Amino acid sequence: MAADGTGGRRWPRRLYEVGDEPDPRFTLANERTFLAWIRTSLALMAAGVGVEALNAVAHEAGGPLRTALAVLLLLGGVACSATAFGRWVATERAMRAGDALPAPKLAPLLGFGLTAIGVMACVLLFATGI
Amino acid sequence: MSGEGPEEPRGPWDPGLQNERTTLAWLRTILSFAVGLLVLLRLIAHNSLAAATACAVFTLPLCAGIALVTWRRHRRTERSLRAEAPLPDGILPAAVAVLAVLGGCTGLVYVLTT
Repeated sequence: MAADGTGGRRWPRRLYEVGDEPDPRFTLANERTFLAWIRTSLALMAAGVGVEALNAVAHEAGGPLRTALAVLLLLGGVACSATAFGRWVATERAMRAGDALPAPKLAPLLGFGLTAIGVMACVLLFATGI
Repeated sequence: MSGEGPEEPRGPWDPGLQNERTTLAWLRTILSFAVGLLVLLRLIAHNSLAAATACAVFTLPLCAGIALVTWRRHRRTERSLRAEAPLPDGILPAAVAVLAVLGGCTGLVYVLTT
């Protein structure tokens, strides 16, 4: 249990029931990592909406490739933000229990996925000349 | 890892400025939210001004509210660090993650309906 009486009121409770308070600097670093994931997801979403908005403003009919690119970027953004909090909890729990930190499962997917999206954007650029 | 000044709470708690960096990360995130929101509102206004206004009335104060909560969280963290008490919990991160997912879903609706 936590060292003082506030442990029971903190949420999520199943996290704060495990182990001891870690070094607060590590908790803050974990929080910044979480926020970096959220910003990454926001950037992906902005890119997705931007790809679609370009042809909406230009009054062009969007091709299926462009819509697919936008949807892919947005789904990537949703995946990043949907898993970010779970990862924050898992990291915090590992630090409290003194375990190894969880592996970033989404990071390789994001890396290779962005490569695929970059190639797709290049194809789009050359095929349609945005 | 105890604080340096037992009497005077002067200066930062640690030379790594952990709390300040964390708060700046929060503010960057809120700023990203606000910018994305403004762009999305502008795009929605292209189709329906009423829908954009309704969205703005609800979401822009939300951004300001989160910034306020972040500032209070910064001060609470600073007090907790000095008192060696537990840091703030996961409610604000969870809320922001939910908002990000909602934003992404709004973006998906926009892309699939225009």
